[in-house]
Parts: sequence; structure tokens; C-alpha cells
Amino acid sequence: MTRLSGLLRTSAPQAVLKIAGLGVLDALALFWCILFVAQGNWLFLGLVSGGTLVLNVLALSRKSYPFRYLAPGWLFLILMVVYPMGYNVYISVTNYATGHYHHKEDAIKLITRREFTPPSPLSFSLAAFGTERELYAVLLEGEERRYVAFPDGTLSDPEEHELVDEDGDGRIDELDGRARLQGPALTPHLGQLQAIRIPYERGWLRMATLREFRKRLPQYVYDEERDVMVDQRTGMEYAAAEDRFIGPEGERLDPGWRVYVGLENYARFFADPRYHGAFLRVMGWTFAFAILSVAFSFALGLALANLLNDSQLRFRKLYRSLLIIPYALPAVISILIWRGFYNVELGLFNQILSNTFNITVPWLRNPFWARFSIILTNVWLTYPYMLLVSLGALQSIPGELYEAARVDGAGGWQRFRNITFPLLMITVAPLLIGSFAISFNNFTLIWLLTEGRPAVEVGARAGSTDILLSYAYRLAFEGARGNEWSMAAALSIMIFVIVIIVSGVSFLRTKALEDISGGL
Amino acid sequence: MGSKAGRSFAPIGRILRWGMRGRSPRWWMGRLVRNLLIWVALAFALFPALFVLGTSFGPTQSLSAARMIPLNPTTANYYTLLTNTAFPYWLRNTILVAGSTSILSVFLCALGAYAFSRFRFTGRRPALLTMLLVQMFPQTLAMVAIYLLLFWLGGYIPWLGLNTHPGLILVYLGGAMGFNTWFMKGYFDTIPRSLEESAMVDGASPFQAFVRIVLPLARPILAVVFIIQFITLYSEYLLASVVLRGERMYTLAVGLHLFLGDQFRTRWGSFAAAAVLGAVLILVIFYALQNQIVSGLTRGGVKE
Repeated sequence: MTRLSGLLRTSAPQAVLKIAGLGVLDALALFWCILFVAQGNWLFLGLVSGGTLVLNVLALSRKSYPFRYLAPGWLFLILMVVYPMGYNVYISVTNYATGHYHHKEDAIKLITRREFTPPSPLSFSLAAFGTERELYAVLLEGEERRYVAFPDGTLSDPEEHELVDEDGDGRIDELDGRARLQGPALTPHLGQLQAIRIPYERGWLRMATLREFRKRLPQYVYDEERDVMVDQRTGMEYAAAEDRFIGPEGERLDPGWRVYVGLENYARFFADPRYHGAFLRVMGWTFAFAILSVAFSFALGLALANLLNDSQLRFRKLYRSLLIIPYALPAVISILIWRGFYNVELGLFNQILSNTFNITVPWLRNPFWARFSIILTNVWLTYPYMLLVSLGALQSIPGELYEAARVDGAGGWQRFRNITFPLLMITVAPLLIGSFAISFNNFTLIWLLTEGRPAVEVGARAGSTDILLSYAYRLAFEGARGNEWSMAAALSIMIFVIVIIVSGVSFLRTKALEDISGGL
Repeated sequence: MGSKAGRSFAPIGRILRWGMRGRSPRWWMGRLVRNLLIWVALAFALFPALFVLGTSFGPTQSLSAARMIPLNPTTANYYTLLTNTAFPYWLRNTILVAGSTSILSVFLCALGAYAFSRFRFTGRRPALLTMLLVQMFPQTLAMVAIYLLLFWLGGYIPWLGLNTHPGLILVYLGGAMGFNTWFMKGYFDTIPRSLEESAMVDGASPFQAFVRIVLPLARPILAVVFIIQFITLYSEYLLASVVLRGERMYTLAVGLHLFLGDQFRTRWGSFAAAAVLGAVLILVIFYALQNQIVSGLTRGGVKE
């Protein structure tokens, strides 16, 4: 608390400035809040009032002083990590996906906006008025009635407007001082004319031809009391089921709406054959990929570290710098270069292989070789990290231990197995777990190298090299079935749980946790 | 005779002994094998970069005709790349997005780390632990929620929505908070407090002490966090591909993927030039600050 004493000496002008600024801000916030109450915009009311409250507490309370430093960073952390985490959980227990984007009220609005033209529609001839740039209004003339219609869909009485028939031929030539648009002059406004939708006697007036507006009727009318959608052409009734309207013989009316489905999405990964097979296969490959990548790259990195860890070796600094070049190159670029090498017809690898041994390898086209290529590339990308980590750890092992072992007559391999490796693992093990977690979710590698291909079978939801994260990405953004948001969200949550369990269990077996609590 | 022969072979023996410098042949064999292995590893490490560098100066776009050492080196591929593709936009977008995110996040993290390092307040331990735990959740797992959030946000604030660079910066800023704060706090803990305390006795507020004294002293760690952040974001693909639409808006990671069309058959030359230009900045930064970056990375392993 004594360290906060500097705060107590805020000078008078500073304090006045602070209070004044806060006052202006609060007044503004209050104004917005009143506006939001009037609009019924409760979400924004909550956001603005909550935000202002936090701001006031931060500025005025002495106890919250340290939080003034934390608040700016936390704002982003909460907005872009914590909130999305929660929202993801929410999406995963709904049926949010293509065909179920909206809430029920909005789905009803969308369905009841659909229209059809009855057999003998009421029709109006049309005359548009305006300038070259701007469409002013449309004069609609029916058998009995005339209207002036504006582009925003409002109708008004022609009596209120100035209609001029200059040559007396019965055709109106000017409306409110704007000239009649004909022929080519009309073309720039066609898009706007087609978009005009004028509410009229339980239906709408819409442009049907270049000369005519016709009255169209809503195709579906919603009966709120019975919660039923009635098709006006056929009289068929669609009853509201759980998440959509369904006709008497199971006809589905799109769109449906968003509902809470509990753990159904999760269950589908274990029970629904369309997701289940892909899920198990992808999970198996994800584990294999992550474990093999870490194992091979650690083995290579450690071996190289042992080679370099020799004080009599010349140029070791230079060698080290050159050996870590895969780490210094941006991964996206390296991955695409490797993809070029793997090209079956033109790639470097097959050119060399066919020239020297007369064989070609179907690198990224065959599931086994695609997986092999992915692991090889990942080993190339990650061994420098292992090399650096191992080199650091090797150099921190005290030399006396080796002297003692040598005196006891231990050979090189024995020294490595009994001294180097166990001591190395103490520092390296937590980093290996971290690497495992990164590989486990290395979407960039998979997507840029194979895009999850080759396909397992036509219509399968995941390819043979998809990892869990790329499977989720495919469900969310790349699927042939639109955006399966809720399935992707459920899968993400499962990935998180898997990573947490794996790293939690392994961290508990290392000393990493003690290090963390020491840092607190 | 014997003595004559002995005399004539003696210098060879002496040269050999001098050459071995008192080491056994076994030692020299070990030496040789060690160097050979290192040279094999060097070839493995370097060939992709060398191949791309070589072919980028080649006269052809096709991957099949690409040669590691071009017969008639030209800069035609670079010319095509810079005049006929959106590559200059991608490079600019990437530097803009990664650069501004890194600068902002360094400042925000330093603020947070200072509070954790210098103030003792209720909720400090739980707050620190929570930040670490939150960081365990990779932001990419929330891609669906982030996409929908930006879509919604764009309805109210168009310049922060989908397909905008500020929107992407906003997303990245959130993801960069937890670990870097933790990392910087460790460094701040090692800066002695006596300097700040004497400044405060002279009437400086804690914030002034932070800006005038702690930040300048912490410059090395600020630079490391900035660079690591920049390098990581430079290669970020998933979130950028989710947020950005439209060729000219892409970052390098998303844009380079476009060259893949037709499996490089007709665009390898441009791609190779793009790879060289795209990598050179990061390579220079990495090797200029090698020691700092390496020590930073191996301590936490932020770069993927």
C-alpha cells in the first residue's frame, strides 16, 4: 500500500480535470442510455452502462488503482478470447448452421416475406420521373385509382403533387418539376425500380414488366394462435415443429430456426455414422501426427545438438546459425515450398527419384505418403527448436558428472543414457508437451500442404490427412453442406478438452507447475 | 640400405605425426564422421531455401523447368510478381497488421506486467493464474465464435467487421495478451525497484515512474516480445483466412496460397520470387537478433 502513496499526492488541477472529464463522459453515456431505452436496445444499454460503471470505478476508487493498468489489455482478452470461448460453448449446444441461422421470429418474418402472383392480378401502368442520376417517384395508374409511389415504398395521393400534361395528350410529362423518364433514360434506374416493394392491401405492388406494376400476395401467412404457417396457394398448413415448420407429409419449410439442442451435437460425433467414422479416424491420425512429429524432431534435434556440443568443433556458431534456418523462415512460405517439392509430375523429389532410380512416389496423392510427407515437413520445421532447447540443456549439465562417470569406466553411450538424457528431460519435457499441443492444432501445416486430402471417399466429411482442427474448420467454412457452425463449435470444445487433459496429466508429472507457482 | 630407407621415410612419418597432432586415427575418424553428419544435416536444412532462391531467378514460370542454378539468371519473375499480382498489397497488409498488433500488444502487456510486478492487491494471484489458464485455450479453437462476433460487430461498426484489417488486429490483440504479460512480468521482477522509489519520492506518480524508468530499462524484453509477436503473426493463416475476403485484403499467408492454383504448374516462378521477398525481412530480423530471439523462444516456445 505504501507504494501507492504517489497516488495520494494528485495535485488539485489534475483532480479537477479528471472529475470534469469523467463528468462529460458520464453525461454522454447517460444520453446514449436514454436513447437505447427508448429504442429497446437492451444489449447496448447493458454494454454502455456497464462500461461506464467500470470506467468510473477505475478512475475514482483508490483500491482499483492497479486495475487501471490491467483493464486495457483485459478488454481485448475478454472481447476476443474469453467471450468467444463462452459463445463457442453456447453455439455448440444449439443447432446453429446453414438453414438455422435465425431466431424463430426472424425466420417467420423471412418466410412471410415470400410472395406470389395470383392468376389475375391487379395491375397498374407505370411512369417513372426523375433526373438522369436520381429516381424521384413513380406514377402508378390502375383502372380505378392513381398513386404516386416513392422508391422507399411509400404511397401518396396524386392530388398532393403537381402533375403537368404539357401537350394535353392525357400523358403526364412532369411530376413535381421532374421529367418523365423513358426508354434509355430509364435504364440506369431499373435495379432500383425492381427493388421497390409497396405494401398494399395484404400484399405488395412490385414491378412486373417495364410498363407495369402488379399486385402480389404473400405466399405464406402465419397463424400466431395455432403456430401454423398457411400456404395461400394450396391451403396447405405447415405446423411448427421443434426447429422448423413441417407440412402434413413431412414437407420442410426453409429456413428453420435456432434452438437449444443440449449435447446432441457432441453425441452425433459418437453415434451419428456421418460424423462418427470421420471423427474417430481423424482423432487417431491427429494423435499419431503430433506424437510422431515431436518424437522424430526431438530425436533429430537432440542428435544434432550432441554433434554441435563439442568445444573442439570448428565453426560451431556458424553451423548452429545455418541449421536453424527452417526456424527463421516464415512457416507458411516453407510449407508451400515443400508442397512444390512433393508435386508428383514436376516436383523436385520425383524428378530426382525418377532420374536416378526410375521410380515415382505418389507423395500427396496417396494417404500413406501424404501422411509421411506431412510428418517429414513438420520434422524439418520443428527440429531447430528441439536443437536449440537441447543445446541449451546440454550446456547446463555440469562437466564434473561426466568426469566422475569416466573415472568409473562408463562408455559414451552409457554416459548419454544415464547422465545426459535424464538430466535433459527435466528441462525439456515440459517443452515437448508444449510442442505436442502446438502440433496437435497445427492447422496451417495441414491446410497449406494437403488441405486434408486425399479424400477418403466421395462425400466424406473429412479427408485422410485432416486433423481435428482442420475437420472443425471444414465443417464451419468449407463444407458442401453450408456452415455447420454448431458441429464445428462442439468439435472445438472437444479438442480443447483433449489438449487440456493431455497437457494437464503430463504437466503434473513434471516440475513445470512448481515453476509457475514460484513465479507468482 | 636399411638406414637409408629409414632416413627417406622418416619425414613422411613426421608429417603424419604432425598432421595428427598427437591424436589417434580413431579420434580423426570420429572427427570426420561428425563433420560429415553435420554437412548432411546442413544440406537438409538449406536445400529448400536455396532451391527457391535459385529458381526465383530462373527464366520460366513452370515448376518442371525450374533449375536450382538457372542458366540465364533474370529478374523476370520478380517483375511479373510486382506488376501482375496482388503481392505488394499482401506484403503491405501483413506488415501493417502484424506491426500494429505487435506494437499495441507490447504496450498493453507491459502495462499489465508492471501492475503484476509492482503492486500487491487483492485478486492478484487468481488474476495471474486465470490469465495463464485462459491462454491455454488456443484462440483458433474459437474461430466460429470470432467469425460470428466480427460479422455482428461489422453491422454496427463497419470498419471493425469482417474483411477489415482493424478487425483482424482486434482479434490478434486478444490472443496475444496472456502469455506475453506473464513473460514480461518475469523480466520486470528482475529490475530493481530502488530507481522507481526514488523517483516517486521526488513526486513522480507510479505511471510516470513506469513510463520514464521501467520502460526504458525493459527495452530488451520489449524488443524480444515485439519481434516474436511480429514473426508469429507474419505466418498466421487460420484466423486471417476466416476474417479476410478479397484478394487485395489478404495477408501474405492467405495470399500465397493462391499461387497453388494448378499445383504450381504455371506459377512457380512468381511463387519463388514471392517466397524470397516474403522471407527476407523475417530472415534479416531473425539473424540480426538471433541470440535474444532464441533465448525468448526457447523459454516459452510461442512461435508455431
